[in-house]
Amino acid sequence: MKVLVAVKRVVDYNVKVRVKADQSDVDLTNVKMAMNPFCEIAVEEAVRLKEKGVATEIVVVSIGPKKSEEQMRTAMALGADRGILIETDEALDSLAVAKLLNKVVADEQPGLVLLGKQSIDTDNNQTGQMLSALAGMSLGTYASEVAIEGEQLNLVREIDGGLQKLQLKLPAVVTVDLRLNEPRYARLPDIMKAKKKPLEVKTPADYGVDTASKVTTLKVEPPAERQAGIKVASVEELVDKLKNEAKVI
Amino acid sequence: MTQQEMLQALQDLIGADKVRTDTDALITFGRDWTKIHEPKPSAIVFPRSTQEVQALVKFANQHQLALVPSGGRTGLSAGAVATQGEIVVAFDYMNKLLEFNPVDRSVTVEAGMITEQLQQIAEEKGLFYPVDFASAGSSQIGGNISTNAGGIKVIRYGMTRDWVTGLRVVTGQGDILELNNRGLLKNNTGYDLRHLFIGAEGTLGLITEATIQLARAPKDLQVLVLGVVGMAEVMQVLHTFQTSLDLTAFEFFSHNALEKVVEHQGLNAPFDTQAPYYALIEFETTQEEQLEEAMRLFEACVEQGWVVDGAMSQSEQQAQNLWRLREDISETISQYTPYKNDISVRVSKVPQFLAEVDQVVSEHYPDFEIVWFGHIGDGNLHLNILKPENLAKEEFFSRCHQVSQWVFAIVSRYQGSVSAEHGVGLIKKDYLHHTRTPEEIAYMKAIKRAFDPHNVLNPGKIFDL
Repeated sequence: MKVLVAVKRVVDYNVKVRVKADQSDVDLTNVKMAMNPFCEIAVEEAVRLKEKGVATEIVVVSIGPKKSEEQMRTAMALGADRGILIETDEALDSLAVAKLLNKVVADEQPGLVLLGKQSIDTDNNQTGQMLSALAGMSLGTYASEVAIEGEQLNLVREIDGGLQKLQLKLPAVVTVDLRLNEPRYARLPDIMKAKKKPLEVKTPADYGVDTASKVTTLKVEPPAERQAGIKVASVEELVDKLKNEAKVI
Repeated sequence: MTQQEMLQALQDLIGADKVRTDTDALITFGRDWTKIHEPKPSAIVFPRSTQEVQALVKFANQHQLALVPSGGRTGLSAGAVATQGEIVVAFDYMNKLLEFNPVDRSVTVEAGMITEQLQQIAEEKGLFYPVDFASAGSSQIGGNISTNAGGIKVIRYGMTRDWVTGLRVVTGQGDILELNNRGLLKNNTGYDLRHLFIGAEGTLGLITEATIQLARAPKDLQVLVLGVVGMAEVMQVLHTFQTSLDLTAFEFFSHNALEKVVEHQGLNAPFDTQAPYYALIEFETTQEEQLEEAMRLFEACVEQGWVVDGAMSQSEQQAQNLWRLREDISETISQYTPYKNDISVRVSKVPQFLAEVDQVVSEHYPDFEIVWFGHIGDGNLHLNILKPENLAKEEFFSRCHQVSQWVFAIVSRYQGSVSAEHGVGLIKKDYLHHTRTPEEIAYMKAIKRAFDPHNVLNPGKIFDL
């Protein structure tokens, strides 16, 4: 079975993001970028499926600037066999991404598409869901366990208040959650081998997809700064402040 | 002077609320991380200014009292413990940022500032305070200076000494000195007294303020962990990587250290291939070529047969997790009641030295498990011997005391140091002669007498007068 994994280049999780002076966006100049952590988990799961003999080929796809190649090479070092980069410097809406991915799905005919449940830059949590609708494939979101038996996908997903078990029919789109697995490190010999793996570069135009955004960003602001705490002298004072100042009780 | 009179006098000097004698405070402020000696201070005082510190030192001189300076108390050599009724001078309330100068790229801070806070201030200003170690969240800059703290970035940035450009101190006689005029970079006007107070463990004076140089923040630090076939090969790898990359860290640890950290901290091993030793290499990547170069060097090391496998961080989180494989060792092995030593030899001598120590321990005590790790890039080794489960603690430590004699004899022979970065305090003072000659120690004592003629500052630390 062929597995398609989508990965996104985002601001490194550990970077303290700053807003541009003109408030048009967050400042990305000279900021460390990395693979979206949820995408890392998707790649790891694909590799594990391959190691189990379930997946026969892993195709990694990314949509973004040229430098997304770095993250795709990482995916290839971890075990992806080849890559498709749809190069664009625009920040695409989820729907545009889902439409592009749908075209790739149509070309590649994978048995399973793995995506992170969301990317940590925009936190939309939409692409996987939109893709399954466009491609007419079954959908499982927030996966914390994935097992494949023949044509059937057994999935455990994390939902409010507990876990839900689903059986899906393949082909399917699965978005992965944090607890699905712990991604491995990229081995240096594999990083070197990954450089030689095939990487196809396309553009949105090649797929005939209109990527014009229907959303305009008006302004980006940092969250309000936390005020310094105070010490209270007694329980009475605390209760009084909670009641009359904070108005939470 | 009775205890009551002394407390009254201290309260008159710096305020009643700045003097504590409750048991909690006496125990907390009377010891450091060694926790071997029973803390017995007579009082803890919290001065708020250099003038108050001066008043305390003068008071101690008048009445022949002993003062022990106390920072974050994270020391590992019992340099900041009070075991004989001393007054502990805690700098917790002297923690302010006094000045930031963007042109000089320097900050002036009070001695009680937490190291991590200094690092954060530097970061907020777009700069970098490069001295870093596991206890940076608790230790204070005054203590760092008094012990000349080292840590994980010494190979690139040096020790605390290299970043202190100015000091304000109260000497043992009670004089206030402004050393190196608040941070001159060039000042060849006789003896540079500043450097005497750095690493003096509070025996010459009490540091109240410091001017610290800051550096440019490194960009994109990459972390590699390599599996290496032997200790001699670890040094070859170091040498190879140093030829064409500016390393910010080069650490090593043994396989049993990795095993224990992976098991107890729930971390991922860097790769499945086993190796006797691992090298953690960190370097800055300002350009793509440095990554290419690291790959090339890795390949060269594999071809030479030194390295069997390697992993590289692909994100900041992975870099931090790889670092944890090294940094969590100390905490992980603490449950095995380890006997710890912090020693250094010249970088080129490390493999032979390590082999000799290994041999002497395993020859006499074959049931002792040795865990090696350290800042190998600067010749600093942390030797840890784990207590066998069936051996009583007292018996274990008495045997380790014997081990120390052998180890320090080897250190002597290699012209190494019995304390690379932890200082001498009470714990290493019996071994000082392995690293310092009698003449040197005599000069050190003469310096001590010049600054502190009545021996009021941290008496009994480093050496007995």
